[in-house]
Amino acid sequence: MKTARLVIIDGVRTPFARAGTEFAALPADELGRVAVRALLLKTGFDPGLVDEVIFGCVGQPADATNVGRVIALRAGVPRQVPAITVSRNCASGFEAVTQAYEKLAAGRGSIFIVGGVESMSQYPLLYPYAGAQKFARLNKARTWPARLAALAAFRPRDFAPRVSLIMGLTDPVSGFNMGETAELLTRENGITREMQDALAMDSHRKAIAARARLAEEITPVYAGPAYVRALAEDNGPRTDQTPAVLAKLRPVFERQTGTVTAGNSSQISDGAVALLVMSEERAAALGLTPLGVLTGYAYRGCDPARMGLGPLAAIAAAEDALKLGLADADLIEINEAFAGQVLAVMKLAESAEYARTALGREHALGVVRPEILNVNGGAVALGHPVGATGARLVLTALKELQRRRARRALVTLCVGGGQGAALWLERGGA
Amino acid sequence: MSTGIRTERTADDLALVTFDQPGAAANVLSREVLQALDGALDWVAAQPGLRGVVFLSAKPTIFIAGADVKQLAALDHDDALRAMIREGQRVFARVGDLAVPSVAAIHGACLGGGCELALACDYRVASDDHRTRIGLPETSLGIVPAWGGCTRLPRLVGFPKACDLILGAKRLAPKPALRAGLVDAVVPREALLTMARRLVAKGRPVRKRHGVVNQALIAGGIARVVSRDLEHRTRGHYPAVYRALDAMRRGLRVSVAESQRLEEEAVVQLAVTPTCHNLMRVFFQQERAKHLRLDNAHPPPRLERVAVIGAGVMGAGIAQWLSAHERAVILKDVDVDRVRQGMATIATLYREAVRHHVLEAVAARAGLDRLAPTAVEVPLAGTELVIEAAVENMTIKQEIFRRLGEATPAETILATNTSALSVTELARVVRHPERVIGVHFFNPVHRMQLVEVIVGAQTAPAVVDRVLRFVQEVGKLPVVVQDRPGFVVNRILMPYLIEAGHLFEAGAPVARIDEAMLDFGMPMGPLRLIDEVGVDVASHVAGHLSACFGARMAVPAVLSAMVAAGQLGRKRGSGFYRHAGGNRARPHAALAKHVRNREAAGLDEDALVDRMALLMVNEGARCLDEGVVGEAQDVDFAMIMGTGFSPFRGGPLRYADGRGIVNVVRELDRLAARVHARFEPCERLRRMAEREETFYHDMTGGDHRLQGGGSRPEGGGA
Repeated sequence: MKTARLVIIDGVRTPFARAGTEFAALPADELGRVAVRALLLKTGFDPGLVDEVIFGCVGQPADATNVGRVIALRAGVPRQVPAITVSRNCASGFEAVTQAYEKLAAGRGSIFIVGGVESMSQYPLLYPYAGAQKFARLNKARTWPARLAALAAFRPRDFAPRVSLIMGLTDPVSGFNMGETAELLTRENGITREMQDALAMDSHRKAIAARARLAEEITPVYAGPAYVRALAEDNGPRTDQTPAVLAKLRPVFERQTGTVTAGNSSQISDGAVALLVMSEERAAALGLTPLGVLTGYAYRGCDPARMGLGPLAAIAAAEDALKLGLADADLIEINEAFAGQVLAVMKLAESAEYARTALGREHALGVVRPEILNVNGGAVALGHPVGATGARLVLTALKELQRRRARRALVTLCVGGGQGAALWLERGGA
Repeated sequence: MSTGIRTERTADDLALVTFDQPGAAANVLSREVLQALDGALDWVAAQPGLRGVVFLSAKPTIFIAGADVKQLAALDHDDALRAMIREGQRVFARVGDLAVPSVAAIHGACLGGGCELALACDYRVASDDHRTRIGLPETSLGIVPAWGGCTRLPRLVGFPKACDLILGAKRLAPKPALRAGLVDAVVPREALLTMARRLVAKGRPVRKRHGVVNQALIAGGIARVVSRDLEHRTRGHYPAVYRALDAMRRGLRVSVAESQRLEEEAVVQLAVTPTCHNLMRVFFQQERAKHLRLDNAHPPPRLERVAVIGAGVMGAGIAQWLSAHERAVILKDVDVDRVRQGMATIATLYREAVRHHVLEAVAARAGLDRLAPTAVEVPLAGTELVIEAAVENMTIKQEIFRRLGEATPAETILATNTSALSVTELARVVRHPERVIGVHFFNPVHRMQLVEVIVGAQTAPAVVDRVLRFVQEVGKLPVVVQDRPGFVVNRILMPYLIEAGHLFEAGAPVARIDEAMLDFGMPMGPLRLIDEVGVDVASHVAGHLSACFGARMAVPAVLSAMVAAGQLGRKRGSGFYRHAGGNRARPHAALAKHVRNREAAGLDEDALVDRMALLMVNEGARCLDEGVVGEAQDVDFAMIMGTGFSPFRGGPLRYADGRGIVNVVRELDRLAARVHARFEPCERLRRMAEREETFYHDMTGGDHRLQGGGSRPEGGGA
């Protein structure tokens, strides 16, 4: 059976900005709007031809639910084009791409604007449930005595805010914070603080070296209430990063004996990515040369407490389906949720025992060659706006395939809640 | 029932009186419509057992636009005018005396006479639509509200608020109208009748009496303060505001009937003044500009997708205005920081618009969302109109246009916002030059209504027509001008600004020069204006024009010296004035070294005005002679809307008519002999003086018959 292939025509993203910096005042719908508007501007594509807009987002703004729809309308996509927001946690940006493929395969449209967005700066503080209930009661009280009684029920702890960002980064099933899952992997696999810091250092070095290359996928953001500054590049990569500075940082998640620090974890960031994708046939009919092709993909579950190993399961599943393995990749992206987690994936990929016991296959997955891994830096330096990252990895990898005139890229993510995602991409065009 | 008014009785015993002028988009109160209303009131009186009367309009955007200004202007003697005033007052009095409660259910423009009808009702309910506007703008036509407006409004909202509304010729949106007490409720359009029923059920209202502010002594005190403020702002040039103030103040002390006699007297006396004629003329010119067409046959598709090239003050201003008027706008400049500055300018404009209640916050955000800023080349194939607003340099502009010509399909209209350069010359480098046109906005874009539409030698008429409609759709007033240096506004303004520089060099003090023209009725003195636009900009335009027109446009040495010294005007804090924060400015003493002689030091105000204003007359006549514009009223309209040239004088050419062409020529000859050849009157003026002609043919002496110029399918109102 010949199924339609999904091609990626072009893409554009905002710079990624550390949470609390340049984009702190911009809500997710604004960031997404900027990315989609820039995509339409850059491609000159008529948004009236789009069948659906699909956007990944993890923490949707309370005042812009179904943020994908808000983004589409604000970016000038005609109102009759529907829009949906998808969430697969850290793989939401992948989900947007693969859902476009699934809709295409199901005959539900052939041209999509997909992407991902996250404003981690604007994750709200929440009232505890008990406190919220008391507010509701106060609201309902009609008489003054009833109001006073309702007021008297409040206790100081009712006002203690719950940080939704921390809650979002905690696995509700295992109770592990994401950083704690990373600590677990480093302990179990003998990954030292030095190894992690070295990878982090490398990520910054590569990201700085890639400035000009990354600029090709970035649209400057002219936004913010006063427009006093335009941000045209990621502000995560540090030119002043040194091993000594990294070594000085205290572990965040296990204060006494831990090895995972703010310096060797991904940065909490704000950003948005937008991609124009469509069937190969439509692209040909419209005379568009694709940036690349989605060859295939797999999502697989794993132990939530070891969510960082998710890519291994997904790579294995993709290999079963597509007969493509690590050795076939010209480029590999493993999202740097944590340096230790990436190192654990690299180590266990070569382990026959892990393959047998955890993946149910005879041979090890193979070698992740460091020279083709995250060649333009990773989330440790560039940042990880969770809903947007997947789409960024697709964009960055395809642009790099074009630059290298190489054939295939394997793009993977670990997913909070215990999942892995792996996408195989091919370079498009001649 | 006669024309324009339908009556019906509802099942619940309401009488509905609906205004629906056949074959027109607007309802206006003509003599015939008043008659029909009188008839409708007869019908109402004959209905037994009515509970209330509701006045409505069947038009989608207009309740009643006002009195029929064309008819008013055509009344050829006092008695006819007096009769029409009395008739309106009598019919509206019948509305006020209805035996059952009456409600005006207002959707759309409810202005002038329409508002006075609403005021005669017991209740007013307005739709929350953005097209709904309520007010009494008569003073802007040089008359006063005389169908009870000056009488009933102070009684309803109090004397101070009434002064604000009538003297300011305000047109209130629904919410402010509710706050002012002008309407009793604001509801969705579909709910107007429901609300009207509820108001009728309440019976006749008991109104607040405004006992304190409407009391004679206090109202008198307020009137004195207001009068001083008017004097400061209008320099006594607009008699209508004083007469309205006076009629309202004195009207409060007497009965409604007597108060209406005061209104009547005021109108009858004002209607014969040149000020009133000139203001009415401006009104007709505005209406004409709103409906100006080259070709009525096939309305072309709207221009929706626009690109603005250049994010400077003009580019950003244009982009902001267009995005606020529902156009998707690409804003392009050469580097990220210029684009950022442009976006910052735009964001500020939107913020101010929200702060001044011009736009709701959601609308402002939607406007900002329509902008697509870029500092790199992007595909422009889908763009229908490109407006270039780059620096005024032919080489740079040609390079931009050459590239635009290649980057866009042949249907894309390419416009330049140049203020002086030749559109024809620009078009030479473009593939399909027939689509190149000039669209000259004025600074600040959001305040200046005029747009010069410049027709190059090669511009296709269909392109001109499409751009005309575009300009009108985005709420600007176009004037069509031929491609001659400076077009019309800058060409006429420049000799005036240059002369101000000459006068300064000849010893006239800065304050005296500016004060003379303020007294003449200009919104700003010429030297202050040079500071505002930038000494460098003024000097650049003057330089360009002097290259085209020779000595009469020669740049005064003082301007060049100031540019060289970096005294560029307000933007640098120093020009002819030292600019402190805000609007404060004092003449710049250090400029004294540029004074070359004392020739003009002793000139009185009239002499100063002659030297500056008559040069505008002279240049305006030349424009007409060269066919830069088609008619005298184009010159006058452009100068009034583009520079704020004293509207009550009707523009430079109308001013010349008023002074007498012979007198103008005599004075110019005298100045040419005594001061400089630049005053030499042009051929056209000489010819006109010889033949005793005037620029306007429909205006002789005290006759106040006016022709509403050109096509005006809708018949506006006051």
